Amino acid sequence: MRTHVKYKLPDDSDKQLTVRKLADQFAIKKEPTVDEKFTIYDTFDWRLYNKSLVLYGTGHRLFLRKLAKDEMMNSVEISSRPVFMWDFPDGELKNQLAPIIKMRALLKLVELHSRSVPHRILNQNEKTVARLAHEEIRLSTNKNAPALATYLWLKPVKGYPKYLRNLAKRIEEAGLTICKEEDIYFKALEAVDKKPGDYSAKVNIQLDPDMRADEATKIILRFLLHVMRINEAYIEKDLDTEFLHDFRVAIRRTRSALGQIKYVFPTETTNRFKENFAFVGKLSNDLRDLDVYLLNEATYKAMLSPILQDDIDPLFDYLRKKRSTALHNVMRGLKTKKYAKILKDWEVFLNEPHQGSETAVNAELPVIDLARKRIYKKYRDVVKTGNRILDNAEDEMLHVLRIECKKLRYLMEFFCSLFLRKKINILIEQLKKLQDNLGDFNDLCIQQEYLLKITKELPASHQQTKKTLVAIGSLIGTLDRERQQIKDAFANTFTDFASPTNQKLFRELFSSQAQEGDA
Amino acid sequence: MTTLAIYSNKGGVGKTTTAVNLSYLAAQTGAKTLICDLDPQSSATYYFRVKPKLKSGAKGFIKGGKPVYKSVKGTDYENLDLLPAEFSLRNLDVTFDKMKRSKMRLKKILYPFKCEYNFIILDCPVTIGILAENIFNAVDYTLVPLIPTTLSVRTHRQLLSFCKKKKYDVEKIYTFFSMVDRHKKMHLELMQRVVREFNGVLKSLIPYLAQIEKMGIYREPVAVSSPGSVASKSYQNLWDKVQNTILYPDKGKSERSNR
Repeated sequence: MRTHVKYKLPDDSDKQLTVRKLADQFAIKKEPTVDEKFTIYDTFDWRLYNKSLVLYGTGHRLFLRKLAKDEMMNSVEISSRPVFMWDFPDGELKNQLAPIIKMRALLKLVELHSRSVPHRILNQNEKTVARLAHEEIRLSTNKNAPALATYLWLKPVKGYPKYLRNLAKRIEEAGLTICKEEDIYFKALEAVDKKPGDYSAKVNIQLDPDMRADEATKIILRFLLHVMRINEAYIEKDLDTEFLHDFRVAIRRTRSALGQIKYVFPTETTNRFKENFAFVGKLSNDLRDLDVYLLNEATYKAMLSPILQDDIDPLFDYLRKKRSTALHNVMRGLKTKKYAKILKDWEVFLNEPHQGSETAVNAELPVIDLARKRIYKKYRDVVKTGNRILDNAEDEMLHVLRIECKKLRYLMEFFCSLFLRKKINILIEQLKKLQDNLGDFNDLCIQQEYLLKITKELPASHQQTKKTLVAIGSLIGTLDRERQQIKDAFANTFTDFASPTNQKLFRELFSSQAQEGDA
Repeated sequence: MTTLAIYSNKGGVGKTTTAVNLSYLAAQTGAKTLICDLDPQSSATYYFRVKPKLKSGAKGFIKGGKPVYKSVKGTDYENLDLLPAEFSLRNLDVTFDKMKRSKMRLKKILYPFKCEYNFIILDCPVTIGILAENIFNAVDYTLVPLIPTTLSVRTHRQLLSFCKKKKYDVEKIYTFFSMVDRHKKMHLELMQRVVREFNGVLKSLIPYLAQIEKMGIYREPVAVSSPGSVASKSYQNLWDKVQNTILYPDKGKSERSNR
């Protein structure tokens, strides 16, 4: 047995009593008190919490552990507050965290102050055979503030199991209980009014199959509006790029819902809001594009031969400058009366009771029926378009298919609570693979065009600019080769998606005929 | 994982004090460290206040595996464990000699620790026989404390020619000056000669100090018993040189002389 044991001390107990009692039987040496500050970090969307991980810093080190476990998984020395993965020193911790955190910024969740009094248990040779530590954890350094938790730690020293067993027995006899599952993480967050996992951009709503379709749609849309509102507040702070991204995805989903969940609202209302959200989406197109290029900086550089790698820097410096203007423009747009009115009207509409309308023919339909109909229709559209591309692969058709897939995906995500989670998730995974292929292809097309366009904006006279242009040219070449590879991979990816197995699953889940057959 | 032997084929040169202090300093950096006491006199074990006892004695040690693993004791310091020695290890040379692959036995015994520790330091007894060859085969580097006296230098020459003859990589043998008396003209002169003659001399020296001798009384590394003292600073300096020159030569400028 080598793991540390943590005992919970009752809040009102005499703090040192247990240690004093033990001193009757063991030689105990008290060591100087240790004061430490711990800062717990996570991303805004709780990426670490969702993986049951806790990242915390103390002194110049960062530690990673599992939630509800006290053993360390990894640690690393740091020189400044950790924010982005690319600022982390290379090593295991970075390798472990980078795929989880990606481009998100780490935010300080809470600061804890621990005051612990270590004791060493000694044998006849005055050799340490076990350690005890009495720890109090508070939100501030004030000794008189109430402690969030008080623990007695029993820490083994390798090779002295008998002492450990003996001590554990005595401690338990003194009435202390082991706390295994308790994690200070939860107590600390609760104390600062934060709820782990309370934000996720994923559509997470529970619909009732027999619900009216217009009501269900409003639930979906209210959720999306909530996501918009949360992220909107952070865009100006510019902590990372994903607040804007989540904000934009919520807008896109809203537009898609308005277009795809057909005839649940009066046509005039649907059209008006579709237009409104197209306008809101456009406000930040430039900024998002620039974010994507800048996030890809390292990837682009890696595509260039080493002699050109530094020459591309002026391009990114230029893009960074453009980005700060773009951010300014977005903020101006989000502060206009027009924007405020659009969102206000939308909110009012989503919260008002349903009104009968001749054009809202699907409004009263049970949502499950409408969901099946729409998803199955979109699925068949995707397959049809995809098959046409197999015959004749035009870039434009791939673009059309990409949009159709996106619509299908959004529909499936809106309504996933109505279907067997396991089955619909399989199909979403399959669709995701196809979307990745199409998305990569589209990104590369746009990037090539953009780079070509940007060359006209760079000042032409400088010697440095000429070098930069050479680097951009080389980059475009590489992107083009990659684009071709992705295009070549399309046929296989699509055939996998449109496979008979998937077709059967789609039919089972969504086709109205299949449902009637079952009945 | 790196294995470093503190070795000398001459007695009383400060092997054990070096092993104890370096292993403490290594553990202080956060590296999981194991000090293996191979000396039947078990002085390192004594310094760490651990009973000189192995599970199933020398037999268990030679057999390797579980008995060795279970013999390991935590020291008073975080990240630092000790594999104790006991008197029965006095016949290691003879016992290894009778076994198959007699020169690789120690490597095999230490193998299971490679995953668990970042750093293993061996405190070796005086030997130039089979046990010495076992040590050279088991470690990445060897560090030899050298007193700047004629006899010490002569013994070191013997070691190097032995290693060359047996085809051990002498590039992996480093030395530093130990128990140096700066008042002795001969010590100073010899040090200059040694730096010219041998490769791999670390630019660090441990003076002859009462603080270090008192380790037997305090039974603690000097950095614990007298932090900030000259003795403590000298070992810190030696540890820095070990890190910069031997362990991570790419990080700092190579300090290896004459290479």
